[in-house]
Amino acid sequence: MDWISIANAVINGVVIGMLLALPALAITLVFGIARFPNAATGDYMTLGAYTTIASQMFLGGSIVVAVLGAMTMTAAISLLMYFWVFRALAERSHVSRLIASIGVAFAVRSTITFFAGQDQYVVDLPLVRAWNFGGIRILPTDLYIVGAALIALLLVFCVMYLTPTGRRMRAIADSPELAAASGIRARRVMIFLWAVAGAFCGLGGALLGIKAVVLPELGWELLMPMFAGVILGGIGSPVGAVLGIVTFSIAQEVASLFVGPAYKVVLAFLILLCVLLLRPQGMFGRPIAAR
Amino acid sequence: MSLLQIAKLSGGYGDVDIITGIDMHVGAKEIVTIAGTNGAGKSTLIKAAMGILPRIAGTMVFDGIDLMKLQIEDRVRIGISYVPQVRNVFGTLTVLENLQVVEHAPGKSARIRDMFDLFPALAGRRGTYAENLSGGERQQLAFARALMSSPRLILLDEPSAALSPALTDQVFEEVKRLPQADVAVLMVEQRARQALAFSDRGYILDAGRIVLSDTGASLLANEEMGDVYIGRGQSQAAMPHAPSTHV
Repeated sequence: MDWISIANAVINGVVIGMLLALPALAITLVFGIARFPNAATGDYMTLGAYTTIASQMFLGGSIVVAVLGAMTMTAAISLLMYFWVFRALAERSHVSRLIASIGVAFAVRSTITFFAGQDQYVVDLPLVRAWNFGGIRILPTDLYIVGAALIALLLVFCVMYLTPTGRRMRAIADSPELAAASGIRARRVMIFLWAVAGAFCGLGGALLGIKAVVLPELGWELLMPMFAGVILGGIGSPVGAVLGIVTFSIAQEVASLFVGPAYKVVLAFLILLCVLLLRPQGMFGRPIAAR
Repeated sequence: MSLLQIAKLSGGYGDVDIITGIDMHVGAKEIVTIAGTNGAGKSTLIKAAMGILPRIAGTMVFDGIDLMKLQIEDRVRIGISYVPQVRNVFGTLTVLENLQVVEHAPGKSARIRDMFDLFPALAGRRGTYAENLSGGERQQLAFARALMSSPRLILLDEPSAALSPALTDQVFEEVKRLPQADVAVLMVEQRARQALAFSDRGYILDAGRIVLSDTGASLLANEEMGDVYIGRGQSQAAMPHAPSTHV
């Protein structure tokens, strides 16, 4: 295997990892604050991709407007599902909420299928030629994808670490009981959390729609790799979620060079297994100690 | 008039009552200690006062306000603060952020400066994550966090837990200073003898019921009760100037 192929695979892994970092961050934020793994994350992405396409088909306009529309739609659906489903289950076990989120995932996917059918769609963008640097190929579209993802990630990290809302989110993630005893109203934080999580899934879905063919199962099939990336980075660590999914995606793309695309997921999970055997808390997670 | 008045309070987790028929009160600027054997329901009683216990019945009135109708966050708003026994600071937030995150703290910047004046050891560590603080610094931060909202009543759950005798003395000195700042204290403490020595009053809890209440000095003088509930030999050994007698 020549190094140029490996370099191209790494670049592709970085691009896919960066766009999946958005929903991965949504998973880790929801897990840290609402305290359950949200299985509807993938289907919120799918909704974002379909909304982008629908916006282009029916409203015309630029891709930027379509992507913003997708973010708004998924944020709205995410909030609706919070008020309708997850808020009522807030005091129930995390298993109950996980199962409810699987139900939400099916509902979202079925609704998409009802309106859009099983046909394949693509986001309408002008074809562009890749830049070629001695065999290393970089698509300008990929740079836009990475740029958009980076800006969104930077924004959310600024909110989390530089604003009162972010402090409240981190406080609730640290200790919900102490947060309440500090006067923090969890409900307001939850509304912000679910809006951000939805918007990030929408953006991730729209960017994925630019990179891949859009199908109703698009996001659902990415759920396990996204969970794996979050676990690899360390559950509950926002930085870990981003670096974990990027690492996992690079591992998948490089693995596909050696074992073919069919087995790349298996090899990536093997890498995940090895990392977790050596470091069970993930790359950036904290070890859980018994008191 | 009492600041906090509790009557016929019962409650617990699930279907089991941990505390039953509790009648007690805390006056303004008073230090009140709840003592008792392990598993007597002391921490449960403190949690009930803060609104953390999932199931309670009875009446709780704070300065004329019915606490039974208030959420935990609203109790902070009306002037009640709580320092839990464990996880009493946000470990993943810095010292400064632990103070900034507290709601219902008018003039927050000035209040934070007040806290750093009150606990100078924290001032130099404002950018340190709370999980990296020493036990004593953590306890100071827990106090500072609880005092940020300028409470009139502070609920302390075992403030000396897991601290060395020297640090315990330091923490108790801070508790003694609270009434000077118009803060009343309701405290659960395993080192009951040491705590009752500076408490205005105390309650002895056994199997979820109050079996005795009196002034701190009178409870300490009650030898029979002291042997059973206050842990005379152990507590005396823990006291800084106690005679070295062992039971």
